[in-house]
Amino acid sequence: MSVPAEALTALGEILGDRLSRSKSDLDLHGQSETWFPAAPPDAVAYPRTTDEVAAIVRLCAAHGCPMVGWGVGTSLEGHALAVRGGICVDFSRMNRVLAVHPEDMDVVVQPGVTREDLNADLRATGLFFPVDPGANATLGGMASTRASGTTAVRYGTMRDNVLGLQVVLADGRVIRTGTRARKSAAGYDLTGLFVGAEGTLGLITELTLKLYGQPEAISAAVCAFDAIGPAVDTVIQTIQMGIPMARIEFVDAATAAAVNAYAGARFPEKPHLLVEFHGSPSGVAEQAEAFGEIVADNSGAGFEWSSRPEERTALWTMRHNAYYACLAARPGATALVTDLCVPISRLAEAVEETRADIAASYIPGPILGHVGDGNFHAILLVDPRNPVELAEAKRLSHRMVERALRLGGTVTGEHGIGMGKLGYMEAEHGEAWDVMGQIKRALDPQGLMNPGKLVRGD
Amino acid sequence: MSTIADIAGLLGPRLSTGASVRDQHGRNEAHYPPAPPDAVAFPETADEVAAIVRACAAHGTPLTAFGTGTSLEGQHLPVRGGISLDLSRMDRVLAINTEDLNAVVQPGVTRTRLNADLRGTGLFFPVDPGADASLGGMAATRASGTTAVRYGTMRENVLALQAVMADGSIIRTGSQARKSSAGYDLTHLLVGSEGTLGIITELTVRLHPLPEAVAAATCRFATVEDAVTCVIAVIQSAIPMARIELVDEMMVRGFNLHSGTDLPEKPHLFLEFHGSPTGVGEQAAAFREIAGEFGADGWQDATTTEARSALWAMRHNAHYATGALEPGKRTLATDVCVPISKLAEAVVQAQQDAAAMGLTSAIVGHVGDGNFHCGVRVNPDDAEEMARVMDFSGRLAETALRLGGTVTGEHGVGLGKRKYMAAEHGPALAWMRAVKAAFDPLGILNPGKMLPPEG
Repeated sequence: MSVPAEALTALGEILGDRLSRSKSDLDLHGQSETWFPAAPPDAVAYPRTTDEVAAIVRLCAAHGCPMVGWGVGTSLEGHALAVRGGICVDFSRMNRVLAVHPEDMDVVVQPGVTREDLNADLRATGLFFPVDPGANATLGGMASTRASGTTAVRYGTMRDNVLGLQVVLADGRVIRTGTRARKSAAGYDLTGLFVGAEGTLGLITELTLKLYGQPEAISAAVCAFDAIGPAVDTVIQTIQMGIPMARIEFVDAATAAAVNAYAGARFPEKPHLLVEFHGSPSGVAEQAEAFGEIVADNSGAGFEWSSRPEERTALWTMRHNAYYACLAARPGATALVTDLCVPISRLAEAVEETRADIAASYIPGPILGHVGDGNFHAILLVDPRNPVELAEAKRLSHRMVERALRLGGTVTGEHGIGMGKLGYMEAEHGEAWDVMGQIKRALDPQGLMNPGKLVRGD
Repeated sequence: MSTIADIAGLLGPRLSTGASVRDQHGRNEAHYPPAPPDAVAFPETADEVAAIVRACAAHGTPLTAFGTGTSLEGQHLPVRGGISLDLSRMDRVLAINTEDLNAVVQPGVTRTRLNADLRGTGLFFPVDPGADASLGGMAATRASGTTAVRYGTMRENVLALQAVMADGSIIRTGSQARKSSAGYDLTHLLVGSEGTLGIITELTVRLHPLPEAVAAATCRFATVEDAVTCVIAVIQSAIPMARIELVDEMMVRGFNLHSGTDLPEKPHLFLEFHGSPTGVGEQAAAFREIAGEFGADGWQDATTTEARSALWAMRHNAHYATGALEPGKRTLATDVCVPISKLAEAVVQAQQDAAAMGLTSAIVGHVGDGNFHCGVRVNPDDAEEMARVMDFSGRLAETALRLGGTVTGEHGVGLGKRKYMAAEHGPALAWMRAVKAAFDPLGILNPGKMLPPEG
C-alpha cells in the first residue's frame, strides 16, 4: 500500500465519489491489453478539471504517492500499469472539446477526448484530425505515447500534430507549453518533451492539435507481390517520385490468408500493398495511375484502384480486417504485438528476417506494417496460459528488437516503451538515456510520475 | 587564461587569439554591440569538440558556438567572453541516403552547399531562411522560412543528432528511422536550444523529392485583410501551397524603388506551387478562383524558370529593397508569429504603430504560417530613434502575445527576445530553467542567451 490513509481521506474530500477504491475499478485499471501481469493502483481518481488534477498531484507529492495517468487503457506496452501502486488518474471525465478554430485549423481538447469523438465533432467543419493508431484511444494517451498509425506517412505522428499543451507538473504547478501559432523559435520545445514522455514528467490536462482540410477526393489501390523486396522497392520509388501517399500499408501472405479465412475473401496468399491517396479528383486519379506504373515496373500483380467509396472499402478489406482476422486465426490466443521501425532501405531485410524467424518457430505471427515509415508489427499469437509459448514469443520479439537496432532503427515506432521496451533503452540510446534520466530528475525529483517507466530504475 | 592554453595544446594553430579573428566572431548582422570572444577554436571532429567542452568545463569558461554568424538575435555573440567554437571546418556531407530520403551532415555544412551536393539525386533540402546559414546553426535556432508552410521548419526536418553535452560526453539522439516512440525527444529539445544545452556535432536531416513541376504567380488585393482571408480559405481547401508570401504596400514601394518595377502599391501575395505538371496547373487555377472571391487583381503567372527566379529574387532582396525606402540607415527585422486568423489584425496594428511612431517599416510575411517580419529603418547611432524602434518592437511582441502567438516565429530568442520569455511562457519558464540546470549545471554553454536573468 503506497498511499497513506490520510492521503486517501484528503483526496476523498476533494473528489467525493469520484475517488474509487472498489475492487472492480482497481482491477480494471490494473489491466493492460497484452501479456503483462496485472498491477492495480490503490485508488482511481476521476478529476473533471485541471484544478482538480493539480490538487491530486499536490496531495500525492506531499504524501509521496505514485501517480499514473489513464486514458482508455489501449496502450500496448503496459504504460498505465501502476507497478508501484499509487493513484490512477483516469481522464475519462475530462472529455470536452473546448474550442474549434476552423480558420486556424486547430482544436483545443481535454485529454480524455477520443480521436473518434473528436472527428465526429469536427464533421460539419470540413476539417479532420488525421492521426489514427487503430484503437479509439484518447488524445491525451496518444500524445503521451507519441502514437501514430496508418496516416503518419502523410500527416505525421502526434509529435507533428500537437501545437501546445497544458500540463500539471510533479509539484502540482500548471504550465502551458507552445502557443496557437503554427511555429515558434521561442525557447526549449517543452511541448515536444511531454509528447512521448508517457506521463513520467507530468500529466497532460489540455491539448491544442493541428487539423487538416478533409480531402476533396480519396482513391485507394491494392496490389500483390511475390516477395517483400519488390513491394518495398515500390514504396521507395513512389516516395522518391514525390507521389503524396496518405496511407501505404503492407500485409504479408499470412495476413492475406487470415483475412481470406475470416472475411470469406479470395486474395492471393502473397504480400500486398494497400495505398490511399488524398487530393483533388484528378489528382488522386493521377497519383493512383502513377503508382500503378511503379507497381508494374516492380512486377506487382492484381493492381486495382478506385475513388468510389464502396469500392475503396472493398479494396481495403484486407487491412480493415487484418487485426481481428489474425486473432481469429488462432481462437483463444492472445496477441503479443511487436513494433519496430527501421530506415526504409533496410525494411525488406528486416521483414524477411523476421518472417524467417517466425516461420522457424511454432508460433503463428502475421506481419503488417506502415511501410512508408519503415514501421511494422508482427502479431504473435500465443496461448496466454502457456508460459512456454509466451517465452517463445518474447524470444521472437527480442530478436526483432535486436534487428531494428542493428539496422539503424528504433525499438518502437509508435507503441512506446512502457514495461515492454524498458530493457532496450540503454541499447538504443547509450549515454543519451542518462540525459533522459537527468531530465526526469529535474522535472520530477521525487520520482512519483508513473514510476518504474522510461528512465533507468533506482 | 588556462582554458586557452589547454585548447591550444589540442588544436595548435586551430585556436586563434588574433584580433581580427576575434572581432569577426564578435560581430553580428543585427544591432547588438560587438562582443568578441577571448579565443576562437576551429575543431575538426566531435572528439575535439568534446575535448574543448571539457577544457571549458574544467575552468568554468563560457563556450559559444558559431556557424556562419547570420543569426539575427545575437545567438552567436560571446557576451561573457570565453571561447567561440567555430564549426566551419566541420563541413562534410557524411552520407546521402537516397532511399531513406535523408542526409547526414556535419554542422558547418551550409544549406546551399547541401543542395549543391544533392544535385543529380532528385532530392533537395527545403528549409530556406534566406541567408546561407549552416545547418547546425539553423537547427540550433529552429530556423524556417518561405517553404515552411509545405515542408516544415527545422523541427520537422531534423531526424537525429550527435551532440556534445556540457560535461564533454557525446550522445546520439534519434535514429535513421522516420519515427520513434522510444523515450524523451532529445533531438527536438536540442533543436532550438541555441547552443545552451549542448553542441550539435552531426545532423541527420530529411530530404524531399524535387517537385516534377513548379509554378509561381503573384496577385494583389485591396487590403491586407482580403489577402489574409484569401490565404485562410486556400489553406482550408487543402491546396498544398509550397510558398505563400505576403508583402505589404510599403514593401512593394521598396521593390519598385530597388528593382525599377512598377507594381501597384497594394498588398501582394507571392505564390509557388509544387507538384505534377497537371497538379500545379490545377492548384494555381483553384487558388485563382478562391482569390477572385476576395477581390484579387493583377494575376501574373511566372511559369518559366527565369520569371520564377526573378520573382523570388525580388522577394529575397526584401532586406535591400527596404533600404531603398530610407537610405543611409540600417534595417532591424522583427519576427512574430500569430494564429493565422489573427494575422490581418497583427499586420494592420503593426502598420498603424509604425506610422504613428514615425517609423519606416515594410512588411514581408510567411503568411501560411502566420509569421511576419517588419523591416524597420533605423540609425543605430541615433539613441532617440533606436528607442522608438525598440518601443515599436516591444508593442509588436505584446500584440503577438495578446493574439495568442509567439514573440519569435523563426529568428529565435538570443539576446533580443529574452525580455519577453516570462510573458510568453509564464510558469513554464521555470521549467526551461530546470532543463538548462540539468544539462549545464556550470552554465558554460552560451551563457546570457535565451533565458532572462532570474529575479
